[in-house]
Amino acid sequence: MKGHALKSALHNTVITGLAAISSAGVGIEPLRGALERGECLLKPVPEGILAGDGHYWGKADAFRAADFMPPLKARKFDRCSLFAVVAAGMALKDAGIDPASLDLSRIGIVLGCGLGGIANAEEFMRGYFTAGAEGMVPMLFPNVVPNASASNASIEHKLKGPNVTTIQRFCSAESAFLMALRFLEEDRADVILAGGVDEVTPVMLKGFQALGQSRSFGSGFSEGAGILVMEREGDARCRRAKIMAHVGAVRTVGRMPAASAQEGIDRLLPEPCRADLVVLSGTASGDRALLDRLPTAPRLETGRILGRSLAMGGLAMTSLVLRLPAGGRGLYLAASPEGPWYAIDWYGGDPVQP
Amino acid sequence: MKPTNRPRIAITGLGIYSAAGRDVSSFRQSLLAGRSAIGPIDLFEVASFPCGIGAQVHGYEPLDHFTAREAGKLSRVDQFGVIAAGEALRDSGVREHYSPYDIGISLGAGAAGMLHSEEWLRVTLSGQKANPSLLRGILPDRTVTSIAAAYNLCGYQVSITTACSSSASSIGWGADLVATGRVQAALCGGSDCLSLLTFAGFNSLKVVDPKPCSPFSMGRQGISLGEGAAFLVLEDEARAKRRAARIYGYLLGYALGGEAYHMTAPDPSGADAARVMIEALHYAGVPAGEVGWINAHGTGTPLNDAVESRAMKLVFGKRATQVPLVSTKGLTGHCLGAAGCVEAMTTVLALNEGMIPQTLNFRGVDPECDLDYCHLGAKTSTAQIALSNSFAFGGNITTLVISK
Repeated sequence: MKGHALKSALHNTVITGLAAISSAGVGIEPLRGALERGECLLKPVPEGILAGDGHYWGKADAFRAADFMPPLKARKFDRCSLFAVVAAGMALKDAGIDPASLDLSRIGIVLGCGLGGIANAEEFMRGYFTAGAEGMVPMLFPNVVPNASASNASIEHKLKGPNVTTIQRFCSAESAFLMALRFLEEDRADVILAGGVDEVTPVMLKGFQALGQSRSFGSGFSEGAGILVMEREGDARCRRAKIMAHVGAVRTVGRMPAASAQEGIDRLLPEPCRADLVVLSGTASGDRALLDRLPTAPRLETGRILGRSLAMGGLAMTSLVLRLPAGGRGLYLAASPEGPWYAIDWYGGDPVQP
Repeated sequence: MKPTNRPRIAITGLGIYSAAGRDVSSFRQSLLAGRSAIGPIDLFEVASFPCGIGAQVHGYEPLDHFTAREAGKLSRVDQFGVIAAGEALRDSGVREHYSPYDIGISLGAGAAGMLHSEEWLRVTLSGQKANPSLLRGILPDRTVTSIAAAYNLCGYQVSITTACSSSASSIGWGADLVATGRVQAALCGGSDCLSLLTFAGFNSLKVVDPKPCSPFSMGRQGISLGEGAAFLVLEDEARAKRRAARIYGYLLGYALGGEAYHMTAPDPSGADAARVMIEALHYAGVPAGEVGWINAHGTGTPLNDAVESRAMKLVFGKRATQVPLVSTKGLTGHCLGAAGCVEAMTTVLALNEGMIPQTLNFRGVDPECDLDYCHLGAKTSTAQIALSNSFAFGGNITTLVISK
């Protein structure tokens, strides 16, 4: 697969590797187990962080950076970057890809990231507000940018292909996924790691509470990373990779004002709408008009199990790939309160690998 | 391999709101006059920093553009974005020709509403109750949502957050959206504003010049921060011509990549910057010999300018000295998340004016920067094609290939 040597005429995009860090644990197996059990993994937010009962969050408590790198090295990363660096390595390994054996300029990373960088920004500014210019810690500043997680992952794994970070409400990871598809289609890369990464901190929850969102959109906020390894089918078959799923059509609508909502729904979910498994992400489970259009099929809502975040789509799409039977047809629907919406057709791999 | 069936992507609308001009007409005048917008900053307290200057939009009055209710919901960044996007949309006329569901937005974002959010933090740390509305714009995607609502655009939406290359990437991606037929028209650009976080942050890294930035000059010490918003409207050329739209130029191609080297420092060899420029030309189907000049990333930091000059030599070889490498950051300041689009628009305007902009604030010749930077003044030019480079934290590089 070095460079362009083994290009095939097949242009379908397939998933050949997965990685997950979530409230279920570190790795794919804890996630698979949590999905099978269907139990909610959210835990109460400690009293000292948010006042009042009934606040839950989905912390990736099992994640220990020291399990993956020396503590001194881990110190230079923010938590979001740690998730991305570790998950990217796990995804490449799962796909059987050794970056060192490939043309590194042909491996890209495109991640959705909602709240990445904000924790560092808060700490940096806290130093300034409490101790003036002398209180600023310069090493915090480089990681205040939202692209720190994807960029740190690219630096650690030497990935020199397209490197983009996206955010768009609860569809941040889906935005990244669509971009990755296009980059593969246009031959800008041979392999792309796509998905989402997010973190949740006490100050973020305080912010949600200040905005009156701690019991609505900010409820059950979570953190972690879900990364999918995407390749053109021909390339994947040439290197005898396991094909975990095929990506079908991706439809998206940015905004659906009431006066023209029907047009938006028709574009997003054209009839007939068929699937063996429906996965809901973001705020899709509360979107009655869209739910009415969905086919009768088992539904999986990862937010109820793992919690929600702006880039939760990475974990939700990973979950779909894990649960979609070989040859089965999946429908993935993601929504945000003010838009956008995404509907993605999926087909189970041959076979979906254990 | 260049996709053979890719349509030509026309630029049919321009909009800008910046310290160097609050619409395209006034920005063009600043560009032609080589008038720097860098001066004292009074948006927040700067006395504790060695540098107190930047390209600030002074005297901005939200109520000149929005109702009090609207202004209360929008951060400074969102407001700049809505204003500049409005100019670009009106200029292009696309809303009169396409369904709202066929017009998408691809925006490059930066610090977003950090200016307001840091005030929330300051007040909260002081033990007082801060106004929660200060947090409304903290997420960079808010600007897109605001623009979509203001102009009833219902198509695709995304915010790209690759720091200083965000809005250059947003233009390349916008061209892809049009090329694939996902949208009929793409509103592409960026919006960013000065904030204490970015000002203090870059100062803490000691990369801010106490004097107006002097890219590629001897003795340069770093950047001058700026703020603003800029947008281009992109369409398939055939469709644009069918509706008799004014075409300012074309986005012939783009490329983006990562250096995988360091979070803040560029690879000194310039090899990856050169690779991305070559890839952009490849995707555009343009030989390097047809490029008239480059709108550089040209921040004015000692390292960036030397590396970009080195990359130029790798791309153009012996011809490098004949291809002016100019930075317009002395005019606009470094607008971070909006910089890529501000500079792409500057490139479009300069190509149409038949000129190559001056790199302002020359302080002397640096032996490491031994190319033609137009330090002594703008030049007339018959160039049809120019590149616009954007480099960012994390090693994110984007190059646009633009023609008139």
